Amino acid sequence: MPPNPEIPVLQFAGVHRKYQNVSALDGVSLSVPPGQLLAIVGRSGCGKSTLLNLAGAMDFPSSGTVHIDGQSTTGLDDRALTRLRRDKIGFIFQSFQLLPNLTAAENVELPLLLAGQPQARERALDRLDRVELGGLGHRYPHQLSGGQMQRVAIARALVHRPRLLLADEPIGNLDSTTGATILTLLRKIVSEEQATIVMATHSPESTAFADRIIEMRDGRIINPS
Amino acid sequence: MANSLHNQLPLLVSPLSPTSYFWPLWPLRLARGVSRGVQSALTFSARFRLARSANRGALTATILALTLHAQYRPALPNYQYNFPKDHYSHPDFQTEWWYYTGNLKDTKGRDLGFELTFFRQATDRTAKPSTWAVRDIYLAHLALTDITGQRFFHSERLNRQGPGLAGIEETTKRVWNGNWQVTWQSENQIQLQAIDPSFTLQLNLTSQKPPAIHGENGVSQKAKGEGRASHYVSLTRLKVSGEVTIGEDKRQVTGQAWMDHEFFTHQLDAEQTGWDWMSLQLNDGRELMIFQLRRRDGTIDPFSSGTLIERDGRTRHLSQIKMTPGRRWKNYPVEWTVEAAGLKLQVKTRLDNQELVSKQPQSPTYWEGSVAITGDATGLGYLEMTGYEKPFSFGNP
Amino acid sequence: MIRLFARLILRPLRAEPVRTLLTVLSVALGISVVLAIELASDAAAGSFRSSLETVAGEADYEITAVGGLDESLYAKLSQLPIPIKVRPRIENHAVLLESKQTLPLIGLDLVAHALDTNSTNAPNPSNPPASPSVTPAPNLAPGVSRGVILATASNRKPGDTITLRINDHDHLLTVTKVINSDTAFAIVDLGLAQDLLSRPLKIDRLLIEATDNLEPQIKQALPTGATLAPFGARTEENRKMLAGFRSNLVILSYIALVVGAFLIYNTISVSVVRRRSEIGILRALGMTRTTVLTMFLAEAALFGLAGIAIGVPLGRLLAEAAVGAIGATVQNLYVSSQPGLIALTFLSSLKAVLAGLTVTLAAAWAPAREAAAIAPVEAMARGRKDYDTSQTQFRNLALSAFCAAAAYFASLAPPIGRRPLFGYLAAALLVLSASLATPAFVHYLTRSTRHLLKSLLGVEGLLASQSLDASLRRTSVLIAALITAVAMLVSVGIMVGSFRETVIQWIDSQLTADIFLQPAVPASADRFPTLTPGMAEKVAALPMVTMVDQFRAYPIFFRGLPVTLGSGDANVVRQRGKFHLLEGDPESAYAQMLNSDSAIVSEPFVNKHNVHLGDTINLPLGEKIHPIKIVGVYTDYSNERGYIILHRSRLLRYLPDPAPSNLAVYLRPGTNLTQAQRAIENALADSRVLILPNQSLRREAILIFDRTFAITYALELVAVFVAVVGVAGALLALVIDRRRELSLLRFLGAARTQIRKLILCEAGLIGLLSVLGGIILGGVLSLVLVYVINKQSFGWSIQFHIPIAILLGALTIIFTATLLAGLYPARVALALNPIEVIHEE
Repeated sequence: MPPNPEIPVLQFAGVHRKYQNVSALDGVSLSVPPGQLLAIVGRSGCGKSTLLNLAGAMDFPSSGTVHIDGQSTTGLDDRALTRLRRDKIGFIFQSFQLLPNLTAAENVELPLLLAGQPQARERALDRLDRVELGGLGHRYPHQLSGGQMQRVAIARALVHRPRLLLADEPIGNLDSTTGATILTLLRKIVSEEQATIVMATHSPESTAFADRIIEMRDGRIINPS
Repeated sequence: MANSLHNQLPLLVSPLSPTSYFWPLWPLRLARGVSRGVQSALTFSARFRLARSANRGALTATILALTLHAQYRPALPNYQYNFPKDHYSHPDFQTEWWYYTGNLKDTKGRDLGFELTFFRQATDRTAKPSTWAVRDIYLAHLALTDITGQRFFHSERLNRQGPGLAGIEETTKRVWNGNWQVTWQSENQIQLQAIDPSFTLQLNLTSQKPPAIHGENGVSQKAKGEGRASHYVSLTRLKVSGEVTIGEDKRQVTGQAWMDHEFFTHQLDAEQTGWDWMSLQLNDGRELMIFQLRRRDGTIDPFSSGTLIERDGRTRHLSQIKMTPGRRWKNYPVEWTVEAAGLKLQVKTRLDNQELVSKQPQSPTYWEGSVAITGDATGLGYLEMTGYEKPFSFGNP
Repeated sequence: MIRLFARLILRPLRAEPVRTLLTVLSVALGISVVLAIELASDAAAGSFRSSLETVAGEADYEITAVGGLDESLYAKLSQLPIPIKVRPRIENHAVLLESKQTLPLIGLDLVAHALDTNSTNAPNPSNPPASPSVTPAPNLAPGVSRGVILATASNRKPGDTITLRINDHDHLLTVTKVINSDTAFAIVDLGLAQDLLSRPLKIDRLLIEATDNLEPQIKQALPTGATLAPFGARTEENRKMLAGFRSNLVILSYIALVVGAFLIYNTISVSVVRRRSEIGILRALGMTRTTVLTMFLAEAALFGLAGIAIGVPLGRLLAEAAVGAIGATVQNLYVSSQPGLIALTFLSSLKAVLAGLTVTLAAAWAPAREAAAIAPVEAMARGRKDYDTSQTQFRNLALSAFCAAAAYFASLAPPIGRRPLFGYLAAALLVLSASLATPAFVHYLTRSTRHLLKSLLGVEGLLASQSLDASLRRTSVLIAALITAVAMLVSVGIMVGSFRETVIQWIDSQLTADIFLQPAVPASADRFPTLTPGMAEKVAALPMVTMVDQFRAYPIFFRGLPVTLGSGDANVVRQRGKFHLLEGDPESAYAQMLNSDSAIVSEPFVNKHNVHLGDTINLPLGEKIHPIKIVGVYTDYSNERGYIILHRSRLLRYLPDPAPSNLAVYLRPGTNLTQAQRAIENALADSRVLILPNQSLRREAILIFDRTFAITYALELVAVFVAVVGVAGALLALVIDRRRELSLLRFLGAARTQIRKLILCEAGLIGLLSVLGGIILGGVLSLVLVYVINKQSFGWSIQFHIPIAILLGALTIIFTATLLAGLYPARVALALNPIEVIHEE
């Protein structure tokens, strides 16, 4: 299905999220069109992670709506949310979150296996090639460097061709050179695969690669552009 | 009702080895038993017992057997009958039997035949007289022929006297084996009772003629030699009325029966392999008893004979008889031509299968059943044939 | 799915082979014990058939009478003008002297059997002979000869001579026929059986084949004292009685499996806790809840299946060891039976498989559910690995209190069908209550003893205590398992100890005579071999003897239940016995026994039949029924059938068999025991008699007692062993889990010995807490066992007694074992390379 440029990949409308009287998101509205690399910046606790959780169909808004690729998360049960994540979203975590007992290739293969898709292994290896890790597929995470691990994580996030890629501090655990390489890679993916990326970060290097930057504070977007 | 293990029990626990059922070999077996210092011998089934000298050790066996018989009294001429005492037991003789056979008709005109037989075989006169000592063995056979329904039922029973399981008792006028029994009501009135899970007999018999004594001088000679004979007496015409049940089917019956009582110690010789016997009740009021003894070489023994009983009960010994076998069922000739007392009679079975097959493979099997008579005279009777069953190798089933 | 399971579940298991093996082993042991007890109790009770049922075959009715039936009844019934079949039996036991084997001695009417026939038509070929092959035997007519048909697995042949010891005499018999059979028995003719047993004119049982409608006619022919019952009714009673015993045993055996279940729970919980974030990632990547649940259940099922694969053959082996012990118990308490073959049937294997899988899956259900509930957000959360247990703790304590209260009420409920089902429920609730309270118990205890530990064991003690408290979620289940095992050991230990003490006291009061005589053949709960009459007089005539009491016992049925009817000399008891009555005045009781049809009965009899002091019971004795008044109740622990005791001469009026079952001989004061023994031996030289001085009989009784409970101890030990294995496994998990922390300690300057001490402290602490908890729970459970379960299933009053030395010994062993279980994890901890571990993340 070709991406429809009319429909935003991610759309927040007046989203509030409260955790026991603490407001993590306080009236966020946001629309991310296809192919955009959006960077969200702000201090720890500003609501970045909550926003990502909501964007990743892992949490519900207390009020307001979240649409992912045109589909509202409101009223979906766990099964439907799981399917939504599985089909439309890719995740990149700050601490990579590779499964330690699986090899690189197996980690990448995982979303395909979970979705029951065919030719998982071939597609995983192909993905690894494209993040320039061809030949390292048999290695376990602890046999890889930090940058390599994050590449594996990116490969895993992209292997099922999601509409939306969520990245939480993708270079937070990497030195600056490696970080730059990873960011270049992400940039390249946006252009090559027309993926949409929402990236939480607080590093200035990261923002340089973004198409658009929003800043958050106390659960609100303070530079609505 | 009973099944599985219990039915196997006789096989399982029988202390009587297969050889003891080797029916035609009884003197041999007795001899062996004696040589071991023990008694055995549950060896009789029908009215004659034969021995074959061809068997191993037969000669010594015969000698030993003779010594054994010394315990018992042989059947010798000039025996003086004394009734009713002689209707009961003669423990001095080794073997004794009472046969009741007859042809009946129920109120719906259906034909039936019956056989109820009690045997006594002395096994040990030296055993201490305790309740469970096996001094005699009591065997009984019961058979019913449903001629109209073309069915044949039979059953057998074995006991010792024990605390009153079986016996012959003059004081109570009874011959019994469990709940099969003969009770003399008076000189000529007899009651029969036989109960089996599938059929019962309750018959009242009234003798129409005095006892007929067979043979000459009170002995019925069966082979050459002193004592090779029996004392043989019959009630040849018994009027019957009573009740027969087959399953739930209760029938009132009338008819005519025949009683044989025979006692002896040893009578046959080793060359005699079997016999054919008939009791024929003619419609002219006379009866005919004949038997022939078959020899190993295929000839008929010259000691074959018979008795003609006149209307008034007088008897005539018949030493010249001729029995010609006709059609066979299995090995048994079930149709005969009989020439005796100047009569030529056709004797035909009323049902082919009247074979008494023992449940015990070692136990003997013979044919005894109801027959019809045509020819010079008409009537009904009973035929017994032994020694035809599985060619004598059945000791090893 | 399979690929996922293999990667996500199997691979970590392979990475920790020792821990995996230990878990599998604990499940395997649990399953093997359950199976072993099942198989062994089946075999031991000979399929719960009394050995006297040997070759009884099938029948519709059976006729019996206390003291035997008159043989004339056989003839009477067989002449009844109704279509029935009557088969007499004499049933007793003999010892085949050559092999010392006790076998049923069955007397049958072999003449009637020889031509056994009851139908007019040919035998039914659909019933092929199930009997063993028959070997031709030489001719030995029954009754006249001394021939015996011997069924045996050993190598005998017809013509062999064997010696059978029957009661107090040896008899030389000739084998006439041999039947190859796994269960041994000897068959003789009725007459010979009467001779051998010195019981002229009597037979024990008549089996009847008859249709229902004939029952009134048969009944009419019977003397009033004879009982006509459906065939197998008694076997059915025996079966019920044994089923109770068997269920007790089976429940004990399940303890090992339950402990195994605790360990499965622990293993899966640990696996879940350690992989929280991993599960979060998987959930974020699109794994459904159902898949998560299935994965962990599959992990448990894998443990279950592996356990079954090892447990089933192991159980078969263990059954071999257990069958002897269980067989002895069955004989002592219930019914004479020969242990049959152990048969591992498809059904029993299936039962074991199902039990194993059910238990493991049930145990894994809660942690697997927890895993499924993990939100994908946890993948995002950083470093949130353990979570607070304080909230659930309160809820658990409340539940625990509820369970305890429920247990209390359950313990007050009466038995159901003579089975203490509510007692078992109470025990189960108590275990549940204790398990729920365990986290709080560990928490408060470690908190409050922290400083004590520090001063006693140094900083390692403190650290161990803290880490135990911190990892409560992982360790509390483990401690609960161990507490359960220890509690079972303690409670059963107290129960058996109390019982033992009570029995010893009872023996002291019961065994007042100096020397006891009995036939030199084994007796059992329903088997009372007799001595030749006149022996008592011979012994009494000896100069050193003052009095001889003759005791006679008959195994009878009262109101359909097996009871022992006995007679003794009330005079002797009055003069010499310290015989104590539970209810009733001894003086008047003995006086009444002497002069009227009065009896004293044992406590189990009273409980079982719900009769009371002063009641009159109608007892069929011989041909007639006699009213007997109960004038006393006494304590008895020798069997659970219960006794009715009459004065000897009173009982002889109704059952005129003078042969006593045993003699109690009182000696003149100051007589030399050995001399007296020799004098009795000489006087009875022609009889095979056991002459037992008071002391040796006492020893014998205790020996029998201990043998009876041997299997119980064995079961408990297996449960404890399973728990200790679990401790080793769980500690290993802790070590692997805390490798970062342990490495950090090394960086902070901890020496290798200190690390070892830390782990051992933790193991010791677990052991100590478990033993402590086990003592508390076990104490409470023992009350349930002694006052509820035991009382309800056996009808015995037991005085509470704590076998302190034994318990202390056992607990020390458990504690040591737990400590030793820490050795391997400690070694693993030491083998960790701190630099590698720290750099791992």
